[in-house]
Amino acid sequence: MMSFYFGRLVEIYPFFLKGLWMTSKIAFISLVSCTLIGFILGIFRSSNSLILKRVVGVYVAFVRGTPFVVQIFIIFFILPEWGIQLDAFAAALLAMAIMGSAFICEIVAGGINSISRGQWEAATSSGLTLIQQLRLVIIPQAMKVILPPLVGQYVLLIKDTSVVSVIGVMELTRVGWVTVVRIPEGLMVFSLVGILYFSISYPLILLSNYLERKMSM
Amino acid sequence: MIEFKNVNKWYGKLHVLNNINLKIPKGEVLVICGPSGSGKSTLIRCINRLEKIQDGQIIVNNTPVHDKATNLTKLRAEIGFVFQQFHLYPHMTVLRNVMLAPVNVKKMSKTEAEKISLAKLEQVGLTEKSGSYPAQLSGGQQQRVAIARGLVMSPEIMLFDEPTSALDPEMIGEVLDVMVNLVSEGMTMCVVTHEMGFAKKVADRVLFMDDGKIVETGTPSDFFDNPQTDRAAEFISKILTH
Repeated sequence: MMSFYFGRLVEIYPFFLKGLWMTSKIAFISLVSCTLIGFILGIFRSSNSLILKRVVGVYVAFVRGTPFVVQIFIIFFILPEWGIQLDAFAAALLAMAIMGSAFICEIVAGGINSISRGQWEAATSSGLTLIQQLRLVIIPQAMKVILPPLVGQYVLLIKDTSVVSVIGVMELTRVGWVTVVRIPEGLMVFSLVGILYFSISYPLILLSNYLERKMSM
Repeated sequence: MIEFKNVNKWYGKLHVLNNINLKIPKGEVLVICGPSGSGKSTLIRCINRLEKIQDGQIIVNNTPVHDKATNLTKLRAEIGFVFQQFHLYPHMTVLRNVMLAPVNVKKMSKTEAEKISLAKLEQVGLTEKSGSYPAQLSGGQQQRVAIARGLVMSPEIMLFDEPTSALDPEMIGEVLDVMVNLVSEGMTMCVVTHEMGFAKKVADRVLFMDDGKIVETGTPSDFFDNPQTDRAAEFISKILTH
């Protein structure tokens, strides 16, 4: 019996590759957007402006305090009520960007806050603009603190892409669901799903460990 | 060149600068001393607006420093600032530390910036360290790099905030020597320091602060040998017996 299903599984293997491709696509696009937005929010969060700090703080608190599934449902089911139509793929990307950027924001703000005030003052006194101070002096030093948890966060975000299956995006987890209906070998099907996720995240886990060791030197 | 007009500043309830009026003409070397917490560091940090003031005016080269419309970047580029803790950029080599502002603020070409940066490093006697990182240098060497980093922008004013206080005693001399050389170039300097030797040798004027007020000013010999106020006399006897 088992071998019979295994044969079927080999048959529909391309279907899994498609799911893997979709997962990679969502993961890649959202990692890039989360990083960009997360850095900007993190800079706001660590800025001297009380308003920016508070606004970003509320955003982060809200995102961290609600389940990701609920956030996706809000975006996918409630936005259309307000006349904003999004297909499942776009909704998934938007939800990922909102969720991931909040977590990355905290990591970036923590890194920036770890840099002593003297560095800001020295850069300020030389006549560098705020953007230059960040780009040339502060962020390069903060990266040492930011990088290891950032890569760790990437691993979490990649795994969180599985949640977007709930709105019907045909990514890896969804492929597993659909397959298991036709091939009732849950363990086998979802082991394969798990292995495919692991193949993306494990290199990043190794990278995170490596960075952790390297940066602590 | 630098003028304080009725300057007041508070940290919460603490009146850190209490009605400061002060004129520093071009080329003057002013030494500011006083007990810790007297507002002396705050005073010079207001000159390039590292600190804001709540009342009064500070004018540098006819520019009102604390005016909203003031181009701070340009103003700050004309004022060198040397910190007690050096604050070199640890992720850059000595040469890149010095080159950073010329390239990014003055938009100089890399080759040109490198040339003048090396010249300034030579002036502070550290040409051979240009490829090192700050952590590889002694405190005295780091502070000399910090001075070169200020000088490379050809400022008209150099501000020093206790430049030798964080140094081991045997390194104080090398930093003071560099500063004395600047005096002979006619640089306008405000130096917060307790180095009486330096003050006596090169200062045009000594300013004594206490409780956010300018208590006394005078030539170094008048001030140290014949202080007018009890507080100044007490302070001088303390740093002498120290």
